Amino acid sequence: MENIDISKGFKVILTGMPDLSVIQIPEPETIAVSALDIPYIRPKLLVKENDPVKTGTPLFCDKRNKSIHYVSPGTGIVKQIIFGQRRRLVEVVIALDKIQDKKDDFIQFETLSRDDLDTVPKSKITKMLQEGGLWQCFRQFPSKDTADENHEPPMIIVSLNGNDLFSPHPHAVLENETTFFEFGISVLKQFSKRIIVTSRQDNLSSLNRLNGLNKHITHIVPDFYPAWDPGVVLYKLKTTREENRSWCISAEHLVLMAKLLLTGRYPVKRVVTVTRSNDKKPHIITRQGAPVKDLAGSLDDNSLITTGRFNGRSVESGSHMGFFENTLTIISDNQKEELFGFIKPGLTKPTASKTFLSCLTKTPKNLDCNTHGEERACINCGYCVNICPVDLMPNFIIKALLSDDIEDALNYGLLDCCRCGLCSYACPSKIELTRILSHGIDAHYKDKE
Amino acid sequence: MNPLKKLLDSSEKYFTGSGKFNRLKPLFDATKTFLFFPSPKTSHIPFVRDSLDLKRFMSFVIISLLPVLIFGIYNTGLQAGYALGESYTFLQAFFSGSRYVIPIILVSYSVGFFWEVLFAAIQKHKISEGFLVTGLLFPLTLPATIPLWQVAVGISFGVVIGKEVFGGTGRNFLNPALTGRAFLFFSYPVSMSGEVWVAAASSVDGVSGATALSILAPEGEKITSALSNSGFSLSNLFLGFVPGSIGETSALCCILGALFLIITKIANFRIIIGGIAGLIVTSIIFYLIPGGSDSWMNAGPLFHLCAGGFLFGISFMATDPVSAPGTNPGRWIFGFLIGFFTVIIRVANPAFVEGTMLAILFMNVFAPMLDHIVIKYNVSRRIPNV
Ligand code: SF4
Ligand code: SF4
Repeated sequence: MENIDISKGFKVILTGMPDLSVIQIPEPETIAVSALDIPYIRPKLLVKENDPVKTGTPLFCDKRNKSIHYVSPGTGIVKQIIFGQRRRLVEVVIALDKIQDKKDDFIQFETLSRDDLDTVPKSKITKMLQEGGLWQCFRQFPSKDTADENHEPPMIIVSLNGNDLFSPHPHAVLENETTFFEFGISVLKQFSKRIIVTSRQDNLSSLNRLNGLNKHITHIVPDFYPAWDPGVVLYKLKTTREENRSWCISAEHLVLMAKLLLTGRYPVKRVVTVTRSNDKKPHIITRQGAPVKDLAGSLDDNSLITTGRFNGRSVESGSHMGFFENTLTIISDNQKEELFGFIKPGLTKPTASKTFLSCLTKTPKNLDCNTHGEERACINCGYCVNICPVDLMPNFIIKALLSDDIEDALNYGLLDCCRCGLCSYACPSKIELTRILSHGIDAHYKDKE
Repeated sequence: MNPLKKLLDSSEKYFTGSGKFNRLKPLFDATKTFLFFPSPKTSHIPFVRDSLDLKRFMSFVIISLLPVLIFGIYNTGLQAGYALGESYTFLQAFFSGSRYVIPIILVSYSVGFFWEVLFAAIQKHKISEGFLVTGLLFPLTLPATIPLWQVAVGISFGVVIGKEVFGGTGRNFLNPALTGRAFLFFSYPVSMSGEVWVAAASSVDGVSGATALSILAPEGEKITSALSNSGFSLSNLFLGFVPGSIGETSALCCILGALFLIITKIANFRIIIGGIAGLIVTSIIFYLIPGGSDSWMNAGPLFHLCAGGFLFGISFMATDPVSAPGTNPGRWIFGFLIGFFTVIIRVANPAFVEGTMLAILFMNVFAPMLDHIVIKYNVSRRIPNV
């Protein structure tokens, strides 16, 4: 195990860390597969409303590669297909079957045994994963689109931690799943010569208790956000240009892949966390695509529900969890206009700067979903530069992007940006840096496609 | 609800849309957000934002200026008292000083604010908090006896030519307060240059007093002893009990302000430390060159550091992030060269005694170039990702 030296990130300690215990909640009435958390997808529907579906029935595929399926995580009927603006697919909602005593009726896919692994061709495994609805777990840098099956990635980064500080703890996700995890690693070895597995420093001791898992961990990252983000890890590890097109996958998804290949059944179980300031909720076992309101409960206030405070999406309480999402962060709204608020000493105000007394205390802080000020022109203060984990200069890159100078932006390293959101977080002028950068990356990628 | 908030909310309609005073919307917004800190909900990633905003950022610069401001008022009164042949008590000096300094600050703020509101209304942007700093920095660089109309002209030039013509705060490359000061310096050298009119009861028969930088030692005497003989001993210069511009005389107060800015990380320490290093190294080099013992060439680092507006300039002017480089190596070089040029100008061209101001403005112009070079270098070290 090597340490990766990462010095920049979000170091404020927050309240609301979930408890390590795990509970199971009752089966939801509806589940859904969302298209909103799948980057770049151009979905083509394969079902109609009221169609019966089994667990594993493909619901839609990606027009750009029709063999990549997104399958139903439950058995029932298609209750509703929701479209957003410009008829963009939002969710395929499925009402779960009650009659069969909540037993899934699985589509049986082909299986693979451990011994087959060395003899079957890679293309065969690819096909099994695509049909089984899990190929998209592989994401390809730099834009993190679905991995290109014809490309041999120079490395695959497996991340034990999710997109948020309080994403499910790997111990809760991988408990009892080590054998699947190990099988998953052997599958990855068919795709790339170099497999990187990273873990947060503070998780190591509890992971030690999981049999044999630690020996697969290749790198340790510090315990502040977003050191474990595969984009940051790639930036720190890469030595050649080719490595810019590496792949990444989360450990949870790797286990799902292993289960699919070994059992031939689409695995539907997910571990999620629901976090909120000052709460300490247990991890929750539920089904993929569970309704947000089942997890978050009913919220009477103005809180924002997101799937990651820095880089998730904001979700309505009537919607469902996405394929890639395994945490709900409920951020309270503190929208009161304080008299002379800008000059209070601020003992409890979270900040990455040194301008509030709170930076002297180690007590955990609460973040709210307010901007704390209005947008202004960039004053070149460099706060965004000082916090960017991949050593970018967001202020200079957005200047290039806003003047349509994509060449300069790329030279400055635009595509290394992992969209962690920290630059926007820290900017005292409240400039939407991450949004502009993210638009820039997407526009460039779509242009090339 | 707070009654003040009620009043603001109920009068909002006059300033928005087709309200009677809709042209004054920026002024209304500025007043409202100054009193009541705005904090709308986020709508894009990240959904959480830091507590620091530009109002607080700029307020911290104001706080850091309080020691120089308060001492400046006191010292102005004290010097005025000396000019009248009296020695005031602290309170007397403070009140007498206020009579000179407060009107200057008021004129600076109100005239500058007028331009801010005007441009905000024309260009339909919000009034930037940056002006709070400019409006206070500018008067502190002026001698207390400056006619108020010159204050108005200077701040107008600084705000309009130094900032607004480039598109407002964030797009200017010169420090607006310094731009205004330099303009006055070249347009009205009499009231600005080395010969300060020490504030006196009636400015008509004010007494002419030299500043430290305009001292030249008589033949055969060392500059340092000549300085001490004219009241500019090192300790006086350090503490600030000498004639000079309102805010610039006390090295100690500047250092206090600078420390505050460095600890809170509002100013970048690289500029300040780099500048002091540049000044010390250059002045030592000159000190070691034989000859010139009667001029500032031979004053040595301590006198160079404490005299004139160097510490004020490097702490509060050069650290203005908008007109300084945005890269760390750039900041070191920027600071160092300001120190370097300050000494060069003081030594080489006694006509422009206050070298710091020119050095900073000069380096403001080169800041984007320094950044450009540093970024080029940084980019060359990245593994290309295109
Ligand atoms: S540029 Fe901003 S969003 Fe991108 S990696 Fe750096 S801090 Fe994160
Ligand atoms: S943090 Fe904001 S204001 Fe500061 S340099 Fe970056 S973009 Fe500009």
